[in-house]
Amino acid sequence: MSAFRLPLRELRRRPSRFAVATIVLSFLTTLLLFLGGLLDGLFLGSTGAIRAQQADAIVFSSTARDSFLRSRIEADVRSQVEGVDGVEAAGGLGFVLLGAVVPGSDGLADVAVAGYELPPAGVPAPPAVGSGIADSRLRDAGADVGDTLLVGPAQSPIEITGFVDDTAYLLQSTIWVSLETWRAVQNANRPDAAVGVDVVQALVVQGDGVSPDAIDAATGGATSSLSVDDAVYALPGVRQQESTFNQIIYSTLVVVLSVVGLFFSLLTIERLALYGVLKAIGASDRRLFAGIVVQATAVTVIAYVIGAALAFGAIAGLPPDVPLQLTSGRFASTFIGLLVASVLGSAISLRRVTRVDPASAIGTAS
Amino acid sequence: MFLAWHEMRRAKVRFGLLTGAVGLLVFLILFQQALLGGLITQFIGALRNQSADVLVYSDQARKNLEGSIVLPEQVAAVGEVDGVQRATALGEATFTVSAGGDDVDAVIFGYELGGPGEPTTLTEGRMPAGPYEAVASAKDRSDGFGIGDTVTVMPGGEPITVVGIAQDLNYSVAPVLFVDFSTFEDAKRIRNPDALAIVPSAVAVEVAEGETPDVVAARINAVLDGVEALTRQQAVDGSPGVSSVRSSFVVILGLFYLVVPLVTGLFFLIVTFQKASALTLLRAIGAPARVLVVSLLVQVVAVMALGSVLAAVLYAGALQGVQNLGVRVEAMPVVVTSLVVLALALLTSLVAVRRVLRIDPLSATTGAGVQA
Repeated sequence: MSAFRLPLRELRRRPSRFAVATIVLSFLTTLLLFLGGLLDGLFLGSTGAIRAQQADAIVFSSTARDSFLRSRIEADVRSQVEGVDGVEAAGGLGFVLLGAVVPGSDGLADVAVAGYELPPAGVPAPPAVGSGIADSRLRDAGADVGDTLLVGPAQSPIEITGFVDDTAYLLQSTIWVSLETWRAVQNANRPDAAVGVDVVQALVVQGDGVSPDAIDAATGGATSSLSVDDAVYALPGVRQQESTFNQIIYSTLVVVLSVVGLFFSLLTIERLALYGVLKAIGASDRRLFAGIVVQATAVTVIAYVIGAALAFGAIAGLPPDVPLQLTSGRFASTFIGLLVASVLGSAISLRRVTRVDPASAIGTAS
Repeated sequence: MFLAWHEMRRAKVRFGLLTGAVGLLVFLILFQQALLGGLITQFIGALRNQSADVLVYSDQARKNLEGSIVLPEQVAAVGEVDGVQRATALGEATFTVSAGGDDVDAVIFGYELGGPGEPTTLTEGRMPAGPYEAVASAKDRSDGFGIGDTVTVMPGGEPITVVGIAQDLNYSVAPVLFVDFSTFEDAKRIRNPDALAIVPSAVAVEVAEGETPDVVAARINAVLDGVEALTRQQAVDGSPGVSSVRSSFVVILGLFYLVVPLVTGLFFLIVTFQKASALTLLRAIGAPARVLVVSLLVQVVAVMALGSVLAAVLYAGALQGVQNLGVRVEAMPVVVTSLVVLALALLTSLVAVRRVLRIDPLSATTGAGVQA
């Protein structure tokens, strides 16, 4: 007889016995997916423009505290960076956050106009002056290829010539433009943040073996250089969001472990007499415990499917400003986390199963 | 009572697991409530605790002060609108500053001294009396923002002396300095020597006596183009991130509030089923149903109380880890949350109570227990 037949048959014939645990785990699954989706939405929506950079280092001015909006790299510092051994290419990068009027749409769309020289992943070479390639989330605001957006209070025109995925910046749709267009938009709309003709906010540096430390040493400390990963986590709030959400997610997984442990230890107590009989007719501890793990796994899988469906429903009902994004990776990691917590939780019953005395079956089983 | 305590003493693992699960869930509710309140205060404390009744942004700013600029002629035009007592320039920007020997981020608000836009929660010291004096946020006093400390805008600005401390004054989770507008202008020029002009971020409006901020804001929006006037509360609620953070947390907290009573109700329902024969026997030898129900409810209250104590301890410990949000350990949220989850748990335990009440003492003679 297969070790799985008995526990699965119990699940089929007495589903109501497992219903409440399944419901509780379904809600916990929804909660975990929701928390993970929020974390991913905030992270991906904030960092896309930096993650897309094909760079070995991103160079800021030393007093900017790794903030693009506060950084200024002038021509002399750029020359020093370009002269560092191993540097193959260095390109300027700059952002300005503004509202944009999208033709045919009410209200304004939040955009980040990004000037660049070295194309990020998926982005073509810098377009002609006055035109730009937009992040695909701008489509949700009604923009299309050929539209001319009026950006900022000065209504600077930028014609959209194409779209690119996953390059948002601080939850705003990036429009990738040439440095010349970026400077024109920045100076027209933010006179207090205006930049000179050779000034950029940061440099994207490419070159095998180029280290951020070597760049900072070459500029005499005028720069603060980071790897792309470090630049991503230097964006405001990204690191704090990740650690806070992860703490909540891990605590919720401990709750899952407790709930499953509680449920199966109660179920085990209820079945002690039955286990005595099974042991008396030759069932091993391993086999009985495997049955509990099988049931915990089955309950978790069913709860996961229900919870995931509930999460999809919850997303559909959310206001559009909630930056929730469910990725396949998040579905997989949540499932694995739930499964591990459930199996560990069901292991709490192991001690009780091993302590069942087969002799107790005589005269007690009913 | 006797029955309830004895059973709990003899089934420590069972009740311990439930108490642990409830404790963790209540802790997560408390922690997230504190996080929500702390995050919002840290994001917009400076807006909430400044004196302007109405703030007028550029209509391009989408209610984002950091993204707003208004022109001097717009400041003047707002001052001409009926119901406006005073309209002055308000500047806001994030800078790298040297404070307490370290380079840190700080948000500087520039306002016209004595006018609308000044901090309203001064707890120590005084308001700035001239350039290069500042009121700082209380949370950051030990990080070089205490009274008498000097803060320098990088690279190489004039030292700004902190002369006052105000409560809940942070903005974008960063330290805040309220200075006069000319000091703000100087700071902007230090940060960007290429600046073509330093313009205000918004217009701070004091409404005339007998007028309400709602009416004046609506009037400004009606008569002036290119601006968006908001009452202080509207500016707070409309700040980027505030509404999305609120709605996200509401859903998360709602799910947690749902799970706690479900877990508790599930536990006591199963336990009641397991004790079916014992409960039937007790009823058969004369124990009134009331005694069994009270025993069950005592256990619910005990588990929830112990879980809440555990949650309070975890909560106090966890808040030490988010000191940067300025969140304080307060008894009231713990008490209120504990009472709410207790009420919900008692409600879901009514299913188990119903089972107990349906026990037929006669079943003791046939061996049957609680009926489904």
